[in-house]
Amino acid sequence: MTTNTSMTSFIQKTSAIQKWSRRFFMAAAGSLAISAAAGMPAFAQDAEWQKVIEAGKKEGTLVLYTALVGQPSTKQIAEAFTKQYGISVEVLEARASEIRERVRVEQAAGRFAADVMFTSEGQTMLYDKEDKSVDPLPVTPNSQKISDKFKLKVPMASVMTIPYGIMINTGLVKPADEPKSWKDIADPKWQGKILSDDPRAIGAGYLWFFSTYDKIGEDYVKKVASQKLVFTRDQRESQRRTARGEYSIYMPVIMTDFSDLKGLPVKFIIPEEGVPYVLYGNVMLKKAPHPNAAKLYLDFMQSPVVQKIYAGLGYGPVLSGMTEGLPADVKAISEAKLYGTTDTTRQNEMLAKSKDIFK
Amino acid sequence: MTIIHNRPLDDIAETAPTLGGNALTRAFSGGSLWRLIGMLVLILILGFLTIYPLAMLLYGSLHSTPPGMAGEFNLNGYRSIMTTQNLIVLANTIGISLAKTIPSLTIAVFLAWIVARTDTPFRGTLEVLITLPFFIPPILTAMAWGMLANPQVGVINMVWRWATGATDPLVNIYSYGGVIWHMCQYSIPFLFLFMVDAFRAMDPSLEESSRMCGASRWTTFRKITLLLMLPVLTSSFMLSFIKGIETFESALFFGLPAGIKVITTDIYESINHRATPDYQYATSLSFAIMGLMFLLVIWQWWMLRGKSFQTVTGKGFRPSVMELGPWRWVTFAFCVLFFFITVVLPIGQLMLGSFFRFFGFYTYDMLTLEHYRAVFANSEFWRAVRNTMVLGLLGATATMALGAIVAYISVRTRWRGRNLIDSMAWLPWMMPGMVLGVGFLWAFAMLPGPIPIYGTIWALLLAYIALGTPVSVRVMTGAYHQLSYDLEECSRVHGATWAQTMWRIMVALAWPAFAVGWVLTFFGIMRELSASILLYSVGSETLAVVLMKLWANGNAEQVSVIGLMMMLLVIVFRWVQLGFIKSRISKL
Repeated sequence: MTTNTSMTSFIQKTSAIQKWSRRFFMAAAGSLAISAAAGMPAFAQDAEWQKVIEAGKKEGTLVLYTALVGQPSTKQIAEAFTKQYGISVEVLEARASEIRERVRVEQAAGRFAADVMFTSEGQTMLYDKEDKSVDPLPVTPNSQKISDKFKLKVPMASVMTIPYGIMINTGLVKPADEPKSWKDIADPKWQGKILSDDPRAIGAGYLWFFSTYDKIGEDYVKKVASQKLVFTRDQRESQRRTARGEYSIYMPVIMTDFSDLKGLPVKFIIPEEGVPYVLYGNVMLKKAPHPNAAKLYLDFMQSPVVQKIYAGLGYGPVLSGMTEGLPADVKAISEAKLYGTTDTTRQNEMLAKSKDIFK
Repeated sequence: MTIIHNRPLDDIAETAPTLGGNALTRAFSGGSLWRLIGMLVLILILGFLTIYPLAMLLYGSLHSTPPGMAGEFNLNGYRSIMTTQNLIVLANTIGISLAKTIPSLTIAVFLAWIVARTDTPFRGTLEVLITLPFFIPPILTAMAWGMLANPQVGVINMVWRWATGATDPLVNIYSYGGVIWHMCQYSIPFLFLFMVDAFRAMDPSLEESSRMCGASRWTTFRKITLLLMLPVLTSSFMLSFIKGIETFESALFFGLPAGIKVITTDIYESINHRATPDYQYATSLSFAIMGLMFLLVIWQWWMLRGKSFQTVTGKGFRPSVMELGPWRWVTFAFCVLFFFITVVLPIGQLMLGSFFRFFGFYTYDMLTLEHYRAVFANSEFWRAVRNTMVLGLLGATATMALGAIVAYISVRTRWRGRNLIDSMAWLPWMMPGMVLGVGFLWAFAMLPGPIPIYGTIWALLLAYIALGTPVSVRVMTGAYHQLSYDLEECSRVHGATWAQTMWRIMVALAWPAFAVGWVLTFFGIMRELSASILLYSVGSETLAVVLMKLWANGNAEQVSVIGLMMMLLVIVFRWVQLGFIKSRISKL
């Protein structure tokens, strides 16, 4: 991997990256009108889409539910959307299971409160198949431009991928010993030194388990299980614990969190095999009270402006060419090879396997 | 020496004179029709707040799908919880809860006695300080103790290793002991708050008589003070034990990494970490636990049945304290030690952490005020403060008013249905918060369209009232149990109306308990997340929701700042409250 070497100067550069990201965000949001006009001339002239824009503006409001809790980018993007269309965005945040039950019960009771839901591909499948709470995906100008691999069978307008990798404490792990791949985690020298998100329950640890079990195999996963991993379910606090020196390795870590830990003795590593990832995107909820505003928002999230914003924060964009000009370290994460993700249809089977292996 | 037994409650209530007066007076004093209507209204209110959401959950436990989805009624949920593994987890949970309740109660009783019944120096200050841990959000104390007592880099262990040269850690927060200790930190101040005014309100003449008859201080404490406190003690035990079964955070933060499983983490997992949330399993398990808890409550009723614990009589009530002589410095030292361990250590960590860029990394170049700036500049935070204050003030007042009425009827009358309302008020306490939150969501969303509660701030308020009522009823029950019927009779004989009697006697004397209950409820509302996260709407975010968002995004330092502000608020509230109580008592 190209990225492993380039990651070595991460710690020193994160401040610059953070500042850069902020500046980039502001500039990108500010130039939205220009890029929107330049980016979709063919569709923008489409009379149908113009009608959607007019109707969305008349609706005036958009209610967004998001399962990505606490991300400042949500609010910033919402503000940029308001600036572009004059449509105010009401954002309600809660964890995935809470949001899902809220939407389900609201719809069952005939209270159609929300328009758009920002969630993962796996959750979308459940919304679609089990709860039947989402509408088919509208075709919008930008939806036709996203990479083919992010055009899904489920009705979710892909927005970005969240990559997961390895985090080490640089005070405890010598450069020569640094793990470079997922396979290195199985080395007996790490026994008792790894803090891991719990793979026995839906979450980051399970994502790692699913990907590596499928791609490397059961023997590998069993080897890792014999490492006496310490399990946790609090991702951000676990990063701090590792930084404080409780453990040498924390995995899998959300790679985009790197900038939040600037100044701490930690290093984020992109494994050679690639990063397990979660694909995030928007769904349109059934009987959305502001359907046109919702379509505009779905389109907006796939526009180059928002895609560049996410790329600038390290997330994987679904439009190609969005990482141009990014600092090398951010680019490395944003372009990291996608290793694998979970499959909702196999969740019960794989959770059972994980519980069996990790006891 | 035995407890005095006054006339049985039933005799007194039965023979109480029927008063005239207006309709409201009659409704609660004797007029049977109005009394019936009053009771019905109360039953309706409690039914809506407690039975209705629980009925939705019961439906969830008996139906293959949650409300609103096609499915069938079956007992699969109850079948699925009948596993050997669950039995082990249950035994584990009960063991942990007992292991924290017994020492918590012992220490809390001792502290309450020291503060309320002895001449230990600086009691007023100590009273405020030792209750502080209860008001810190659990994630903050978890964070603080994770730094203080983790086996590798914990401050306590590092000092221990430095001082003794030992290689093994002295304490390990990720263990049974750690889970229990973290729970105790909430339990002790809660129980202390719950009991201290009962100790304070106790007529000291019984203790004085005991001492004059030659009993030692210890015997007097054991045979008089403790026994008189039996209703409060059993209530406290019950509240604490049941909450121990339902506690979630301690097990999540410190139990999970050590492989310790409890019922609540199991329920949490069944809702949040399965491919599809299994509400049938979660609700069935909750009802099974609720059934077990109910047996405990029945045991408490049976134990207290027919006994009287009145210590506040009309005869020369004079709150006074026991003089401990030189021992008062020992009791003082005990309180200070408790304060140091439970407040100075964790809150000191939080305060320190709030001034550095990263919690736990205390170097000069990391000093900053940016977390304070970020919190103060966060408009959502201020909106949440406003919402929480409004909800807290309204919610705590309404909850205490409801609790005072329910407790009055259940303790001081023998109206038909009094046991029913007492039980109804208890119910929310016996259901784990995260499940009850789902119950409120289902209940409010499924209300008929014209009832505009769902999605408004009222949904939160109603949920908070339901969640707080068990504590408010218990607090007021304890207080009413101690008031002699002579006081009411005397007031009535002297021509006071029922309302005057209520205001001048019952309210005046039960006021300290009311104030404590109010503070407990207010801060309960401030911390409540399980129902809030499911019921809040855009614009009605509460402080707990904002804290959760900040925590989820890794802003532990900003969470600390807010936690410290909550501490300040608590201190102000407690000073005002204690000052108020003192002025009331001095006027008696």
